[in-house]
Amino acid sequence: MKGYSTKGRTGPLTRHVIGAAFGLAVALGVGIPQVANAQEDVTIRMWALTNPNYPEFIAQAAEAFKTTHPNVTIDFQETPNEAYKTAIQVALVGSDPPDVFFNWAGEDSVRLVRDGLVLDISDLAKKPGQFGTALAQSWLDTFSVDGRIYGAPTDAVTKYFYYDNAFFTENKLSVPKTFNELLGLCTAIRAIDPDIVPIPLGNSERWKMNHYITILNERVMGNDVLRADYSLKAPDDQLFTNAGYVAAWGKVLELQKAGCFQDAPNATSPEVSRTMFSSQISPMIFCGSWCMSIFDGEGYTDYSLFRFPPVDGGASDGDSNMVVPQGLQVAAATKHPTEAVEWISFLTSPEQSAKFAEMRGALPSDPSMLSGLQNATAQFKWVAADMASLAVQYNVIDVEVEASVANAYLDAGVEILNGTMTPEQAMASIRTAALAAKAKMK
Amino acid sequence: MTHFSRAKVFMYGFVSLWSLFVMLPLLWMVLASFKTKRELFMDPLGLPGKWTFGAFERAWGVGMGGFLLNSAIVTAASVALIVVVSGMAAYVLARSDSRWLRLIYLLIVAGFAVPVQAVLVPLYQMISAAGMLNSLGAIVLPYAAYGVPFTTVLFYAFFLDFPRELEEAARLDGCSRIRTFFSVILPLSGPAVASAAIFQAVFIWNEFVLALLMLNNPSTKTLPVGIIALGGEFTSDWPAIMAGLCIAILPILLIFVLAQKYFVRSLAGLGK
Amino acid sequence: MPDATVTPAPAITKPAKISVNRPQYSARLSAAILLAPALGLCAVFIFIPAILAIAGSFFTFGITSRAWEPAGVSNYARILADPIFWTALRNNLIIVVGSVVFQVGIGTILAAILDRGLPRASTVFRTIIFAPMVVSAVAVALIWQVILDPNVGALNAIIKSVGLTPPQLGWLGDPTISIWVVLMIACWQYTGFMMVLILAGLQGIPKELYEAASLDGARGLKAFRHITLPSIRNVLIVAMLITTIGGFKVFDLIYATTQGGPANATQVLGTYIYLQAFNLGNMGYANAISVVLLTIAVMLGWLQLKSSRRA
Repeated sequence: MKGYSTKGRTGPLTRHVIGAAFGLAVALGVGIPQVANAQEDVTIRMWALTNPNYPEFIAQAAEAFKTTHPNVTIDFQETPNEAYKTAIQVALVGSDPPDVFFNWAGEDSVRLVRDGLVLDISDLAKKPGQFGTALAQSWLDTFSVDGRIYGAPTDAVTKYFYYDNAFFTENKLSVPKTFNELLGLCTAIRAIDPDIVPIPLGNSERWKMNHYITILNERVMGNDVLRADYSLKAPDDQLFTNAGYVAAWGKVLELQKAGCFQDAPNATSPEVSRTMFSSQISPMIFCGSWCMSIFDGEGYTDYSLFRFPPVDGGASDGDSNMVVPQGLQVAAATKHPTEAVEWISFLTSPEQSAKFAEMRGALPSDPSMLSGLQNATAQFKWVAADMASLAVQYNVIDVEVEASVANAYLDAGVEILNGTMTPEQAMASIRTAALAAKAKMK
Repeated sequence: MTHFSRAKVFMYGFVSLWSLFVMLPLLWMVLASFKTKRELFMDPLGLPGKWTFGAFERAWGVGMGGFLLNSAIVTAASVALIVVVSGMAAYVLARSDSRWLRLIYLLIVAGFAVPVQAVLVPLYQMISAAGMLNSLGAIVLPYAAYGVPFTTVLFYAFFLDFPRELEEAARLDGCSRIRTFFSVILPLSGPAVASAAIFQAVFIWNEFVLALLMLNNPSTKTLPVGIIALGGEFTSDWPAIMAGLCIAILPILLIFVLAQKYFVRSLAGLGK
Repeated sequence: MPDATVTPAPAITKPAKISVNRPQYSARLSAAILLAPALGLCAVFIFIPAILAIAGSFFTFGITSRAWEPAGVSNYARILADPIFWTALRNNLIIVVGSVVFQVGIGTILAAILDRGLPRASTVFRTIIFAPMVVSAVAVALIWQVILDPNVGALNAIIKSVGLTPPQLGWLGDPTISIWVVLMIACWQYTGFMMVLILAGLQGIPKELYEAASLDGARGLKAFRHITLPSIRNVLIVAMLITTIGGFKVFDLIYATTQGGPANATQVLGTYIYLQAFNLGNMGYANAISVVLLTIAVMLGWLQLKSSRRA
């Protein structure tokens, strides 16, 4: 609390000086923060990640919400990925946080809950007609901590290999059933033309390799083994020591050796790698379920998808995938908790979920009306069905583990690809970070 | 070839080479905003096949106009505040031998060295505690504060050389110090004001971190934050992103071209 | 105060050269009124946050955590053992030294050429070379990222077209060269600024000096060494100090091009503070690094003050 009391003391001075220039601002007629008219009109401020068509989705939802809540206005703001992560944390500790905000399920949201910045909305959500009574329990669990609900899951994203139908037909290539076949596919494509990059990898922001290693860890060791390490609950002498971790990184090197990636993945942005696929420079890409709407939006639709194949001799049979649930949380500081929960319940209602799926290409938490979608693409239907059939789902490493361990994992991916670290060295550095993080937790 | 002309060839060569190095990326940016994405990728060095303003329309559609206006308001207000506030302080400091005032001068100069990102969180919490987030007025104040130290140093050097006879005359006429400053000193400080204004305008026009954190409402975003939003909006529509950059860069470049003669002359005071 | 050249004056005396027939309090009052806004702004937005950052460096807390746990000097001890901190400091030094050598060095050469050699073409070149200065670092990063892209970038296309091989890991992906590429971008952007600054200094040199030297047979390079350089000594010092402080404060450019990557190879103190504070949630530690950066920068600022005083 110390820092906050210090800040409190400086407050009046700040306000005084700011007040003076505030007059100047008024005189200039520049933006003045709106003061909500408490009783009658309610403004719900909502922040989310920048995504194609999402503002349009929110705009129509806000309009529809007016019919039941004529007094509620939705003030929506979007921010791109990296900037959002910073802005939302800073805003939540400020005096004027958004009422409703986007977050990924996992360590990030749990930390905000721990720090008391997220509202416990269990009681409001369980009221008749609210999302707590409508969504499946497995979905509700994604934003629950110790049995209390701290957010509404809206959708989940996952990863698939995308491939160019025309290229595969023309060259008589088929979908690989095992990891070794995937390697063979890369070799075959390079044999057709050595200049074609089979699976461009844009790792300049580090998270692309993180998705590979998340899945490879599970494919090699199986999901259950990983939990104790990811949650840092394994005993010190066993933490991240499973030989499978090194083996999983070894699989990355095998992909690289088979010529799957281009030379400089760490200098390639995710956008460039995506465009290499959608411009048909490359015949494949490992991309999120969100990539469908990007490719469709760019006018490229002649693609199909397949799941990351099982690793030969690995513990997982491949009937599993990385699934990252995301949703909306309510700030602890909100003045309108009821309206906020009613708004996010509305957004996750069957009708809005279907609209969400249609406009964003998202896989919503309430799939009850998905089958009736008119404009869904064949690929979207395939992904929705595939996700529903998964036996095991797990979150991505960097939201699953503590921040410094996540950072070590992200850096290790870069170094492995650059050849500046061996898998053994990578795991040694991750283990060091994990031990330090575990010591700090005590 | 005489010695003289060989030197001239070298000099032209050196300056032209550097100019080329500077120009090419900017030229490339302009060309890229006319290309299609496919042209940009398959033939990065080629000319656009068709000269269309489609990318500019797409970029403008994101709200570049609003961002431009916001940046212009913020920049103008901050620069005006900086010039007046620093000028007043530098005038007092340059006309005094008091130990305390020298200490204050030192303190203000030390402020120049404080990197914004080092104090980001306390700064944010203070501004947010004052309820000033998302108002253009709010960001003017920290911008002004971070412009004051450097500008004070600049004015200080200028005022040291300022002929004192004029102030003496004003004084004898019974003008107060404050009135002397506003009616005699400031109007005669054109060069210093110009260089301070251009310096700070360039800095504020381009400032990113504070704007990112404090202005997240689309209606208050400034250009650098808008550019980032452009990247998020178009993900891989580079022609539109590059067109957006052209729109962002051109106005201030134009101002520089128009004001540059004045600018160079006024900077002469800095080395004193 | 360490500056010995100041003649000590009693603190209560009114400043010299002020009207004789006005009471002292009025002079002091008006001085205070003139000083107050600048001091107020600096205090509220620079000094108080800086003091909070210093205070915070002795605690452990996250950006979103309300509990501050006393940490003594452990955050500072951690700095000593943190290899990434030292990488970041080394990178700052590379940028500082590289910027002084290239930006001020090339800036001086360009300015001298434009001032004495090609005065008629001066305006055009000056405008071109200064232009990148007005482009925001975020925009600079976006432009260069696409140009330097290893797959579809213009630079690789040029290099390949003349038969050379570009770096395999990419300009911004190879840890051994990425910091130098960032330095190159910084030079691209700021050399023009240095040139204009120095040009302003050069134009203050009286023409007669050159004429006199010319009679003595000192022309061209000789005149540059014996007349030009000594005359702009102070401008050069200011230029170097601005560059040095800028090199330690660098943030936007690296944040927008590499975010400190690949694997911390281009991390500088500014981006490392940001990483620790906002991505890893170690506010206390981030504050300790901020204090180190603050100390370096304030010391340099003091140097600048001293050198400009001596002039």
